[in-house]
Parts: sequence; C-alpha cells; structure tokens
Amino acid sequence: MSSKFVRKWGNPLFELCMIVAAVITFIPIYYLIVTTFKTPEDATLFPLALPSSLNFANYLEAWETMQYPRVFMNTLIVTVTSVLGIVLFSSMAAYSLARRNHAFNRFLFMFFLAGMMVPFQMGLVNLYKLINALGLMDHLAAVTVVNIGTGSIIAIFLFHSFFLSSVPIELEEAAFIDGCSVFKTFWLIAFPLLKPVIATVVILSTLNVWNDFMNPLLFLQSRENNVILLEVFRNVGQFSVDWTSLFPMLLMGVAPLMIFYLAMQKYIIKGVAAGALKG
Amino acid sequence: MNTKMRLLKREFDYQILILPVLIFYLLFCVYPFLSTFYYSFTDYSNMKLTNLKFVGLENFIGIFDSDLLMISIKNSIIYALLMTVFQTTLGLILAVFLDRKLKTKNILRSMFFLPAVFSPLIIGYLWSYLMSTSDFGLINSAITALGFEKINFLGNPDLALYSVVVTQLWQWTGWAMVIFLANLQSIPKDLYEAAEIDGANSWRKFWKVTLPLMQPSVNVVAVTAMIGGLKVFDIIFALTEGGPGNSTETIMTAYIKTVFNEGFYAKGAAFGVVFFIAVMIITMVMMSFLRKWGENTR
Amino acid sequence: MKKVNMLLLTAVTALSLTLAGCSGAKNEPAAADQGDKKDKVKVRIAYWNKEESVKTLLDLVKEKLPNIEVEYQFIDNKQYQNIIETQLTAGAGPDIISTNPYTASRYAKLGYIKDISSLADRYNDGGKNVYSVDGKLYALPGISWFEGMFYNKEIFDKLNLKPPTTFEEELALHETLKKNGIKPQAMGAKSWEPMMKSSMAFVMNDFLAKPENKDFDVQYAEGKTKLDGNWNTAIEKWSELIKKEYLTEDMLGIDYDQALDEFATGKAAMWQSGPWAVETIQKKNANLKFDMFPFYGTEPGAGWLIGGPGVGFAANSNSKHQEEVMQVLDLISTPEGQQAFWNDNKGGSSYLKGVEFEMPEQFASVSETLKAGNVYAPWNNWGNASNVIEDYGKYFQYVLSGKMTVTEALQAIDKKTAELIKAKAE
Repeated sequence: MSSKFVRKWGNPLFELCMIVAAVITFIPIYYLIVTTFKTPEDATLFPLALPSSLNFANYLEAWETMQYPRVFMNTLIVTVTSVLGIVLFSSMAAYSLARRNHAFNRFLFMFFLAGMMVPFQMGLVNLYKLINALGLMDHLAAVTVVNIGTGSIIAIFLFHSFFLSSVPIELEEAAFIDGCSVFKTFWLIAFPLLKPVIATVVILSTLNVWNDFMNPLLFLQSRENNVILLEVFRNVGQFSVDWTSLFPMLLMGVAPLMIFYLAMQKYIIKGVAAGALKG
Repeated sequence: MNTKMRLLKREFDYQILILPVLIFYLLFCVYPFLSTFYYSFTDYSNMKLTNLKFVGLENFIGIFDSDLLMISIKNSIIYALLMTVFQTTLGLILAVFLDRKLKTKNILRSMFFLPAVFSPLIIGYLWSYLMSTSDFGLINSAITALGFEKINFLGNPDLALYSVVVTQLWQWTGWAMVIFLANLQSIPKDLYEAAEIDGANSWRKFWKVTLPLMQPSVNVVAVTAMIGGLKVFDIIFALTEGGPGNSTETIMTAYIKTVFNEGFYAKGAAFGVVFFIAVMIITMVMMSFLRKWGENTR
Repeated sequence: MKKVNMLLLTAVTALSLTLAGCSGAKNEPAAADQGDKKDKVKVRIAYWNKEESVKTLLDLVKEKLPNIEVEYQFIDNKQYQNIIETQLTAGAGPDIISTNPYTASRYAKLGYIKDISSLADRYNDGGKNVYSVDGKLYALPGISWFEGMFYNKEIFDKLNLKPPTTFEEELALHETLKKNGIKPQAMGAKSWEPMMKSSMAFVMNDFLAKPENKDFDVQYAEGKTKLDGNWNTAIEKWSELIKKEYLTEDMLGIDYDQALDEFATGKAAMWQSGPWAVETIQKKNANLKFDMFPFYGTEPGAGWLIGGPGVGFAANSNSKHQEEVMQVLDLISTPEGQQAFWNDNKGGSSYLKGVEFEMPEQFASVSETLKAGNVYAPWNNWGNASNVIEDYGKYFQYVLSGKMTVTEALQAIDKKTAELIKAKAE
C-alpha cells in the first residue's frame, strides 16, 4: 500500500520539493529584478509583489548615468580579447605539456599549477609598476594582459587533462609522418577536437573577466575607459539610499552575463564533463 | 641526419608552443608576487621604501604578535572548511536529485546555477539589503512577520562569518552541482543494472556505485573550494568589511589592512609568504587524501 | 532548445551591434570636438567622495581654466588608500591627490607630494598647520568638516523636548523618546566610524577639554601615555547609552545609508552626522525639519563637535603637468574657488583668509559651539597612531555586542597603537 503510494506520488512530490527549493534559491534574484521596475513606495510596502506597472524610468536613468553603451563596449572588448588570448595560448601550451611529458615539462606544469595558490592582491604594487613601465596605463589592454597572465592557469589545467583523456594521439602521429609541422598539427588536427572543453574555458573565463573589479579599478583611470562594474561602483554610494535606482544598475551590470549564460547553458554541463573530469 | 634534424625541430616547436602563455604568466602573475619573498625579510614599510635592511625572521615572528592576523587565519580556515564541506555535500545532493527523471530538471538546474553568474560585488550589495536589520531587510521582515525575533545576520560577531558563508553557498552550490552532474552522466548505466541484480536499494547504489566514481569531480570541487575559501576577499569587502569587530576579517582582508592602512609592507609580505606555503601544503595534502580515497573505494 | 539558443545568440549579437552602433553615433560629436580638446591638458584628481561633493568646484575649473580638462576619479573610501598607495609607490598616481593630515605628512616625507608653500600665505594658521611639515605647506586645507547630532524638530516639538545641554539631559531625552515608542537615535554601526566618533566626542568634553589633559593627544602619539587608565571613566559614563539600550546590537547590522533613511523618514528622532548628509536627507524627505546639537559632557557648556580641516588637495611630485596642477590649486585658493567648494559642502568653514560663509539653518543650534572653536578630532594629533581609529571603532563594536568590556577594548586599542608607533619609531 505505502510502496504503491510512493511509486505513484513519490516522483511528483519529490519534484515539487525541488521546485520549492529552486524558487527559494531564486528569490534574491527575483527581488533584484522586480525592484528595478518599482517606485520606492512600492518597493518598501510590497517588496516581493510583482510591480503594479512596468516602470522603465529606472532603467532609462541608469542607462544614462552609467553611460551604458560605452562601458558595455569596453567590457566586451576586454572580455573578448582576454578570453581569446586565454583559450589560444593555454591550449597551445597544454598541447605541448600533454604530448611531451619530459621532466622539464612536468616541472613547468607544476609551476603553472602553483600559480593557483598565488594571492593576486599580494603583487599589486609590482604589477602596477610593470603596467606603467610597459606604457599600458589607462589602456584596456592592461586589463587584458593581466587577465591572460592570471586566467590561463586553470585553462591550462583543463586543456591538459582533456588532451590526455580524450584527444587520440594517433592522428597526430600520422600527420607528422605526412610532414605536418607541430604548429599545423596542433591547429588543424588537435585544436578542432577541443570544442567541448573550449566551451568550458570560455564560460569560466568570461565569468571571471567580466566580474573582475580590482584590475580595472587599478589600471583604467579615465571614465572613457571604465568597465561596467566600475560604473556600478561609482554610482552605488550616491544612490544607495534610493535602491530602486541602484538595483537597475546592479542588474544591468550582470544582464549581459545572464543572457550569455542562458545561451551557453547547454554547453556548460557538457563542457565541464569534457574538461575537468576525465583526467 | 635529416630525420634527426626534423625530430629535433619538432621537439623545439613543441616547446615554442608553451612560450606565449609562459611569458604572460611570468610577467603578470609570477614576477609581481616574487618580490614578496624578498620583502618579507626586510624592514620595508610605508615610511621606508629605500635602503632596506635585512631583518631576518622578525616579520614572521611579528605575525604571531598581531591579534588581527591571528584571528584572520582562524576565520579563513573556518570559512574555507565550511565552504568545502557544504559546497561539496550540498552540490552532490542537488546533482543526484536533479539527475533523476524530472520534467522540470533543465529549468531547475538553470535556477540553481544562476547565482554563480553574479559578481561578488553585486552579491554583496544585494545581500546586505536582504540581511539588514533595518526595516527594508527582507529576510528579517519575513522573520518578524512570522512572529520571531529579528536575526542580526551581519551585525552579530558570533554570526556574521556564518552569514557570509550562507551567501556564498547560495552563490556557488549550483556551480558545484553542475560539475557533479557532468560526472554523474559519465557513469556507465550498466554498473547500476548490475547492482540492481544484486538486490541493492538506491541508497546502497549511491554508496557503492555512484560515490566512488565521483572522485574526480569531488577532487575538483573540494580543492577549488578550499583554495578559493582561503583566498576569499571580494565578498567580505562588499558585505562586512571585516566587521563587526574583527569577526569577519580573513587572511586577504587582514593583509590589505596590514599593508595599506597600517603600512607594514614587510610584515604583510611575510604573511603572504606563509599563506602561500600553507595553501600549497593544504592543497597537496587534500589532493593526496582524495586520491587515496578514490583508490580505496574503487 | 536549440531554437531558443539561436534566438538568444541572435539577440545578443543584435544587442551588441546596436550598442556598438549607438556608441559609435555618440562618439561622433565627441570626435568632432576633439579638435578643441587637442590642446587641453588632462589633470586627474582622485578623491574618496562622490563627484557631486565637488561638482561646483569642477565646473568652475572648467569655466576658468579652459586649457585644462579635469578628470575626476572616484575611489571608494574602502579602497582609496590601497589604490593610491599602490600608484604612488610605483611612481605614478593622480596629478592631484586627496589626503588627510596624517597621510599628507607621510607623503611629504617620502617626497610623493610637492611643496606648495607659494599658496600658504592665503590660508589661516588653523588650517595650514595640519597640512604643513617643517613649515612648508603640502596640501590645501579644504572646507572643514564637523559631526554633531541631527535631531528631528517635529518630533521634539510634539513631545515638548528641547536640545540638551548636558549628557544627563541627553540620556533623559533618549528615555522620553523611547517611552513614546520612537527610536531615539539611528546609528549605522555596521561601519566602525559612528561609535568611534560618538565615544570620542564624550571624551573630548569630559577629559580632553580639561587643562591638565591638554597634551594628552601629543603624548599618546609618542607612546608616552595610554587610553587605558585615562579614558575609562569617561567611556564608562558614555556607555550608559549602551547599558540603557539606546544604542543596541542590531545597529551593527545597519549601515550609513540605512541609518540616514531611518532619520530622514522620521523613524528615528536623532542621527549623528555632518553637513555632507543634508542634501541626501532633503532629497529623501523634502519636508523634514531638522537641526543639530553638539555632543555634551557631564558639565554644562558649549559642547563639542567632532571635526577638523577637510580633505587636503596635494600636488603629485611625479605629475607631468606641474604647471596646470598649480593653476588648479591656485584657483581653489581664491574666494571664488572656496565658494564653489563650499557650495557642495555647506556648513563647513573655509580656511582661506577673509572668507566666511553663512550657516545654513540646519546648524542653528551648533553656532555657539562653532563660535567657541570647539571642533576637534583627537586622532589628527595622533601621528603614526592615527590609523588606529579603525581598530578603535571595531573594538567598540565588540563593546556594543557585549563581547568586550570598555577596559578590554581600550587595552586592545593601546596594544595596536604600540604596534603602530614602535614599527615607525626609527
């Protein structure tokens, strides 16, 4: 009797529980979103209710104060260049490290991994001097090069284990016999097979680069070169009493990422599987 | 001869492939940090930038003298342990649950993962509103509406660190879940069928089949949670600034304070060196422990 | 699913294209006046307050110095020291640096900032001295700041309350308000600042103002005396505010903005803050009638306000535009410049000789205190130990939550002070 009950209702009940848990998880984000459409009075009186009318004024204001198109483009440029650099350079290095397993490369691999433990904040002064000496101060490129330097570590790790587990070496051997150079072999044969793990690296790096705050704050001083988060930060104190105008900014800071995530989510699970776990 | 040259060139080309990323890594990650080792043995401070004197281990001893640094180590360890344990277990539970045949599983997965997209800065602002004791604190409004006493999430020194952990679990459990899910899907189905023939119930199947095969993903999640936990910075800055008192000071926030507010560059550097070595050891111990666990259960 | 993805991807692409187009369109006029801008020199100024707090001043610079384009960089208080120190150590940094007295003297000794004594004659000694090292001026003393207790006039009138004249009366006031179901005072004690200021203000009245303790702060800076053993009686008295639950633990979960909101909306009758908050309060509630009274001690008197010279603007010695920087500083050091500066900091006073401003109505009740010159901030005289105030505030957070006694907190602060002084003694 009871087992019959469980068989019939167990799954839907269980599903209901999971839905409730997911909804609870979602409440803070829901709160962030609905508040953006409300007037201050609405927001105080009925914090969780749907907005009585869609009030886009908050967004228009935020769009203007943040100079959104410009900061968006800046953030996009930094993100795209950093992610491209990370994907390309790390996959190259990981290819070599995976295919040439001699002592020096093993050492290099450990040397890269040790970078994961380096607390970024501890080298700031030197990093700043370096960027200054390279003449990159107040250029978007400054943020990009630092991102490539620090963001490649985890990417090398992911590419490396993928090469070892899922990219057959036979094709490459054949290519070499046919007279293909290492570079060509990598580019024409190995790289195309990396698609799933590239997805992972792209997702991971995009989140990190987009949400990075310290680098832009240090290296991009002029307002023309601001990225989205800096602009959010710039306006937070000023408006924070009036959170109906603050929240649209917070939301607009992550909206592109949310869209990116929704578009990529299928690849996330697949990609992580491909990248992280087979090694 | 020709083949030998060609083979040699091939080896050379392989090494060339490493070069670009190595340059970036050396320049922008290793080099800035290296001087920390040097400074940790000097009397470098915000009053003394040149003519540095070698002071031996004085800075390292100074760490133990500082209440701030000691409490920050304690807080960071508590934080990192809680994050590691709960992110792993909760993520695993979620993943197992959402691996079942549910109609809504795709949308549920998305909802659980979504918080990971947000920058810690934004999470900080959002949650300081949610957790506030003032009238707009959403969680406390709910609690008082249910007839309970307000909870001073971020203002109670005994509670603040745990409140930060809650926000971070909220943010990162979905991330762990995704990694576990990927691992689950790589487990061959026939192993379960074999266990079923042996008469195993689902609990037993989980212990005997699933868990041992989850070792690679547990490895990834636990190690990154540990390293990330020990290095935590942004969210503390955005949520509590280390307060009330020193109750949420972590290693990184205490480092920033020691170096920039107090000007003890050298002591900060020594603290950084100790921290780097400690994280290294912890990570290695953890990895070998997890590897052994994986081998034993298999 | 695939369709949805494609749709989203298209949407993203379309969005980025629109944005690109949009920003392109916006860039054109900018490109057009690039011609004028070409000869303009960019002078970067960094400050921990929002651009709004110096807006009129920046507009004046724009108008009076057409050859200069000021680039304002806002860096939040939490990050300011961290960022600026990194930049200065690396031999770079903003052209005009905002500093406080202690940091300015340190920067001067390290050669980060330039001697600007050519402007010194224009300022009163009171402002000039705190930003001078060995008789040379290193930063322009900005409009002074002070902090007192704002009170809601309507609530006070309704309950027939008058601003106090002693601490006892202040306590009684709290009691009456509390009995009438009104939160006596709002405090954003999540930050370490308000309790530090509130308690020190009481010490100023009951301890520091006494002639025998005239040199206490200077001696404290040199490590010759301690808070523990000196401040205990005063702080114990002050902590009545905690014992009687006028200041409560849940204030540790409230930040500055939320406290301001409580005061502005009439939920709390008093709030300790300063001139910079007036505009925000009025924006939040245009009808609020409020005034300010100073902090009092056990004895009646003029009371004290906590405060001092405001931000000091200093010239970076590594700046590539020395001449233009001096032009800007020169402009600030004129009556016109001070007027513009004051305009966004109404309530403070100028240290420029011969410049005086009318007090806004919100500060009517502190005019006596200001006239008596009872504005002071002990840590401005604490030298190398002045950064201890953050720890001071944080240990007082423990006092508020009952984790530490007053004596324990004072001892912990003394320990930190000793650490700060010792390391820099050589």
